[in-house]
Amino acid sequence: MALATEAPPASPPRRKQRAGFVVRFRNRQIGWLFIAPFCVLFLLVFIVPIFYAGYLSLFQQRMVGGDVFAGVANYQKLFGDSQFWDGVVRVALFTAIQVPIMLFCSMCLALAIDSRRLYGTKFLRLTIFLPYAVPAIVSTLMWGFMLGVRYGLFRQLNQWLGTDVNPFTPSTTMISIGVMVTWAFTGYNMLIFYSALKSVPHELYEAAAVDGANQWQVIRAIKFPAMRGSLVVTIIFSIIGTFQIFNEPQILPSMVSNSGITTYYTPNLYAYNLAFTGSQQGYAAALALVMAAMTVAIAYAVQIHGMRKALNG
Amino acid sequence: MSTTAPEVPRSRARARKLYTVDNPKKSPVLTIVVAVFTIYCLLPLVWLIINATKSQGDFVSTFGLSFGSHFALFDNIAEVFTYDDGIFSRWLLNTLMYVLVGATVSTFLAALGGYALAKLPFRGKRAFLFIVLGSISVPGIAIAIPQFLLFAQLGLTNTPWAVLIPSFLNPFGLYLMWVSASDAIPQDILEAARIDGAGEIRTFAQVGVRMMIPATVTVFLFSFVSIWNNYFLPLIMLNDPKWYPLTIGISIWNKLGNTAGNSEMLQNLVITSSLLTIIPLLIAFISLQRFWQSGLAVGAVKG
Amino acid sequence: MRTMRLSSKQKIIPWALAASLALAACSGDTTAAPLDEADGDSATGDITLTVWSWDATVEQSVAGFEAANPGIKVEVANVGSSMDEYTSLDNAIQAGSGVPDLVMFEYFAIPYFAIPGKLTDLTEFGAQDLENDYVASAWSNVTMGTDAVYALPSDYGPAVLFWNADTFAKAGLTEAPATWDEYYEAAKAIRALGGDYYIDHDTGDLFGLLAMIWQAGGRPFKVDGNDITIDFSEPETVKVLEFRQKMLDEGLLGDSVTAWSDDWNRALNDGTLATQNMGGWLTSSLIERAPDQSGNWRIALLPQWEAGEKVGAENGGSSFGIPTDAAHKEEAYKFLEYFTNGDGLQPRVDAGAFVPNLSVLDSPEFQDASNAFFGDEKTGAVLAEASEIAATGWQYPPFFEWARTVYADICAPLYTDHEGTLEGVFETWRERMVEYGNEQGFTVK
Repeated sequence: MALATEAPPASPPRRKQRAGFVVRFRNRQIGWLFIAPFCVLFLLVFIVPIFYAGYLSLFQQRMVGGDVFAGVANYQKLFGDSQFWDGVVRVALFTAIQVPIMLFCSMCLALAIDSRRLYGTKFLRLTIFLPYAVPAIVSTLMWGFMLGVRYGLFRQLNQWLGTDVNPFTPSTTMISIGVMVTWAFTGYNMLIFYSALKSVPHELYEAAAVDGANQWQVIRAIKFPAMRGSLVVTIIFSIIGTFQIFNEPQILPSMVSNSGITTYYTPNLYAYNLAFTGSQQGYAAALALVMAAMTVAIAYAVQIHGMRKALNG
Repeated sequence: MSTTAPEVPRSRARARKLYTVDNPKKSPVLTIVVAVFTIYCLLPLVWLIINATKSQGDFVSTFGLSFGSHFALFDNIAEVFTYDDGIFSRWLLNTLMYVLVGATVSTFLAALGGYALAKLPFRGKRAFLFIVLGSISVPGIAIAIPQFLLFAQLGLTNTPWAVLIPSFLNPFGLYLMWVSASDAIPQDILEAARIDGAGEIRTFAQVGVRMMIPATVTVFLFSFVSIWNNYFLPLIMLNDPKWYPLTIGISIWNKLGNTAGNSEMLQNLVITSSLLTIIPLLIAFISLQRFWQSGLAVGAVKG
Repeated sequence: MRTMRLSSKQKIIPWALAASLALAACSGDTTAAPLDEADGDSATGDITLTVWSWDATVEQSVAGFEAANPGIKVEVANVGSSMDEYTSLDNAIQAGSGVPDLVMFEYFAIPYFAIPGKLTDLTEFGAQDLENDYVASAWSNVTMGTDAVYALPSDYGPAVLFWNADTFAKAGLTEAPATWDEYYEAAKAIRALGGDYYIDHDTGDLFGLLAMIWQAGGRPFKVDGNDITIDFSEPETVKVLEFRQKMLDEGLLGDSVTAWSDDWNRALNDGTLATQNMGGWLTSSLIERAPDQSGNWRIALLPQWEAGEKVGAENGGSSFGIPTDAAHKEEAYKFLEYFTNGDGLQPRVDAGAFVPNLSVLDSPEFQDASNAFFGDEKTGAVLAEASEIAATGWQYPPFFEWARTVYADICAPLYTDHEGTLEGVFETWRERMVEYGNEQGFTVK
């Protein structure tokens, strides 16, 4: 304080000098200061575990004799492990069927809600989104109880219809899980599509009305293109989501019988069981890495187009 | 349901109105189709509410969608909060702590990072974005096992930090923040602040944050839900019931009835606690609706 | 050890959170205090024992123990189903933190932890002197046939047949089957009632099947240190597998209800499920699961393979051991002995625990106690007899915890698609165990 009052003339050039330095630093690297905390965390929580997994995957754990360096043996074993591929094929198939159905429903619902032709739009929109708030553990419990064929609602349904449908046989369990996942995420995806539709400039619709375009033409010419960007986002998130299916097959076996759920039902469940029941962390780490690589590859294939646009824009 | 069956006079009155692009004619058929879908969405929740009112005895002996012989909801709630010295309250507090701290920190870091990516120049931005955005597509579970092993080495497992630290990282939040900062903050306002002599941090705090508030709320809400619903991470990281969040606690209660031996049957508690667990989220959903949408719009458009 | 852990934590957290919100720091303060308390050492020098148990009766002994042992506090935590608990224990041992002082183990899980040295040998505290206080087969579980004692038995599962007298009466039967041949005939009579009526369901129940093999005299697992032999071709074993196969082939066992599921509770409760081949521990739990069937259920000895014999087997049961890394071993053993064999035993028995202690099983109170739920049958006497006739000499391989999860995978096609036979399933299971065991460093044949 005293210094400042004593030497007023000297201060302006000094300030300029300092500002210049700051500006230069600011222009170049100050952004790093802002993202440093995120980076540190990213390193600790993401990068380091990935490398650590890579390191671990080179070892095999034994109950007798401890850890043994195994080189790429875990990877060799994994590529020849029919249980692993069984799970991969299962989730791939699930993704190929469930994701299109779910996204189709989401799109239709978004269009229906955006059409402003519904009674009680707000109520319906909220209701469809609600399941997203339900933790997977709770939703699995509810659906598991409800779909139980002996005492759940399905028994009643079978009696009324005179059918003999069992939602939890080896051939139908995946469908039931699909029902649960679709239940949980349709509303979420719907909201993404709906948000995209909401951002369509109003004038476009008015112009279309002036041109005498009918509903379907409006949907095809204006609404579908508007949702295309969201489609990329939702596809990527859905693929990531379905590839990580874990909660449902982990919880269901204690609730229903003969569901066909094995310890390797999905790759994630397999990795979990290897690491924590079979004490094969090295093998589990190899599996986790291979799965991560596969998901990233698939996601990038979908993403790359949208990403490049975003980066350049 | 009055919405699906409007009274006759009202619809006649409306028929005289002119339908516009903004206010087209309502369609009962379309409404019914969508309403059928909402039944699918609501049925499990209705089931949950009905069964939360049953005693354990009624639960095993009555039909799923009918009420039990007596209304036991309040007994169940009381039992949920008193069972095992009231551990449920502890789980509830844990969950709140994980959610509030985790969502706050992750949102703050994402806002800081998103702002920097959008508005500040620095070297390596592209590479940074490429890696971080790429990380979004790595399944969380694939990373959780190595995370566990690493945290075990660091002595962090079985402490709240094991759940909190991973939840601080929210790459998707960073992405949303980046997109929204690019859109919402005009460059000239920042320039004006800088010319006034504000440092970068002050510019961010006084100008940037204010303009990013809608996106911030959205990112916060998403973090909130994902941490509230997190199951796998605490499942592997924690083994002391004192630190469990609700999701793990409920699954433990559920498994009690499935374990051989002198374990107790707590299905009525499982159902009731499930209901109690989702109520706060449902309230958050209903009251903060517009934020969900505004944030998703940002992500949706850029995509 | 404790300080080391703390210091590494202190190092890492400020580093990781250097630039993050003050809020996080606040939470650090609030979370740190209870954590210390959980770890045990408060200002008064009290010790807190952490006990992991899914057996709720253990809690009954805590008050008495704390009153008798000032300075020691006991905290009983339920960390989930048995399998979750083992996972948590492995995780805690690996992490080197949060290892409890006492842990509950099913008998078959003892070798898994004992062989790699994760369990304390309790002979260090004189546990070997307790041998004669217990049913013989329970004791052989905790010693694994060695001179060491790795745990103390806390509850026991003599294999018995729970049967629903009301359902039997509907099928024209008045008595529990005394032999497995009678059981087969009873199964036909009950199946003839139609609907959902079955003598039992089987969706891959490994432990019920093993109990039958055990009772028949088969000893498929032989463990000698790291040398393990697995052999399902003994005639006693084959006999059981063929018997079970016959029942499956003739549709006498239902295939839609898994034990411990909600459907199972309901089937027990509506009387369509006529028997359960399970451990004695089901006694208290059955009362909760089948309230509507009060007065109808009975308990009988397992049917015999030869008429006139009296051989029993074991189906489950558990024990408590002290992990090698536990912080307060001496105090832990004190409490262990207290609630498994000392003054803490009776409160647990009163709360419904079924224990393998001869002092309890042979006491008149236990022998004469009748139970209205079981039609005023003297269930204690039946359970005590079933415990005392349980055959000894059964062993589990150390990787049984893994093996039983794999069994579920392997047998699934048999139960769901009726592909293959039980013998085929067991052969595949053996091959998988041999492969896994050798990978794990054992010599498995």
